[in-house]
Amino acid sequence: MTRGVTIFAFNNEQIDYLAMAAWSAQNIRRHLELPVCVITDVDDPERTKAFDQVVVTESPVTKQHRYFYDFKQAAAWHNMNRSSVHDLSPWDHTLVLDADYVVASDQLNVLFDTNQDFLAHDRAIDASGYPPFNDNNRFGSYKIPMAWATVMCFRKGKTAQLIFDTMQMIRDHWEHYKQIYFIPEQTFRNDYALSIAMNIVDGHTLSMPAIPWPLMSLTSHAQITQLESDTYRIDYENTNTNGKVKWILLQNQDFHAMGKRSLGAIVANNS
Amino acid sequence: MPITAERGYLIPAINSGSIDYEACAEQLATSIRTWHPEANITILTREMLPYGDLGGFANDWQCFAASPYRQTIKLEADMIATGPVDHWWTLFEHRDVVISQGCRDFYGQVSDCRSYRQLFDQNQLPDVYNAITYWRFSREAKEFFDLVRNIFENWAEFRTLLKFPDESATTDVVYAMAAVILGPELVTLPKGLGPQIVHMKRNIIPTLTDNWTNELIWENANPGLRIQTVAQSGFVHYHNKDWRMS
Repeated sequence: MTRGVTIFAFNNEQIDYLAMAAWSAQNIRRHLELPVCVITDVDDPERTKAFDQVVVTESPVTKQHRYFYDFKQAAAWHNMNRSSVHDLSPWDHTLVLDADYVVASDQLNVLFDTNQDFLAHDRAIDASGYPPFNDNNRFGSYKIPMAWATVMCFRKGKTAQLIFDTMQMIRDHWEHYKQIYFIPEQTFRNDYALSIAMNIVDGHTLSMPAIPWPLMSLTSHAQITQLESDTYRIDYENTNTNGKVKWILLQNQDFHAMGKRSLGAIVANNS
Repeated sequence: MPITAERGYLIPAINSGSIDYEACAEQLATSIRTWHPEANITILTREMLPYGDLGGFANDWQCFAASPYRQTIKLEADMIATGPVDHWWTLFEHRDVVISQGCRDFYGQVSDCRSYRQLFDQNQLPDVYNAITYWRFSREAKEFFDLVRNIFENWAEFRTLLKFPDESATTDVVYAMAAVILGPELVTLPKGLGPQIVHMKRNIIPTLTDNWTNELIWENANPGLRIQTVAQSGFVHYHNKDWRMS
């Protein structure tokens, strides 16, 4: 059974996701010792040489735009084809990572040793303790528990196929599912689709197994600086700090960098 | 009341004002029988109270004397069984009294909403819900219900022990005080171990209005109940006393 990591990378006018994915591939090889596949619309061997496998596919058609707090403007959000990973990923046992997920340890390797066909995070926390973050673990007017599509580990087979097919169904009928689940936001999010899909596939019991640790996250309010290869300084300001900027160090700790500007600068420095 | 069976569910249903608790209790009994056709169920009506109707919550302590079972699970009438619950007997049978602790939202997640529980938090009372209470016919259970009676009957004195007490005694607060006096470890299970009701109160769910049935999609799964597509388990405390599943 082949194992590997798959990253989606569709650039927009603001963010070079492919460069992020290429930098992430180096971290993945160093810590997880796994091959990395990129799914992208960039058909340029020079720009994709960092990857073991490249799946070139058309950029998902989208009218979606998302406001990026750190860029202070909206940009196109090409997130509509995540659910095709079951068909596109070349590995039998795949770890799907967001391009902005920073691998700084070998912790994710544990997921390959679990006896589960599909795993995702059901809880995220903010490394800086950003207070409103708990709200991100639920969505919709009636606070549905969130499953995060940032890190997904799946074995190809019936369960994963069902989950991804259901995500596609939800994506294709988003207006309908938005109404059923009372989701006021207009934008489609893979996290929402995954949450609803897991609920449906699991017989509406919300009891699917989850990754047994929380998704460490940093919002775009945090400034991330790389000090050493796996050591990051996080400068942050939140409602608890009364306007003062505080900082913490993250060392050998994986995290989801929601602030693309900080991460983009780190990637640029390393390339 | 003489003991007639080893195990059974007791549902107090004393109609008050416009609330038809007997109809609620009938619905609850029907839902339990859906999952457990052989279950012993007693609906405790006003005329069955051994010491007469003392009014509202103050009747609660009479349940001990009124139960015809050696082991009793007392259930609040405005609930519905949405799945099998007989495994609880195995969990409870080693104890003399078990009061449920905490509650869940309809996603099955333990609620962290404290807006209805400020009195408990301010007085560091255990977060008990009398909606599901088990007891074994025993000296210890009698002691518990004697204490509950004592607190109800002497509420004017007992309330002075609390910060920001209610004018009238409510069953959950009285049970919590009794638990503190006897020792919470003797009348509750460790948090997260025992059953918890699904509480459909506005701030817990959270809905915009008190009547969740006007906002949320619910389905009679026959048997069972789904709310917002999510299959419910255990007892759902529907709160809106007029709600009927069929």
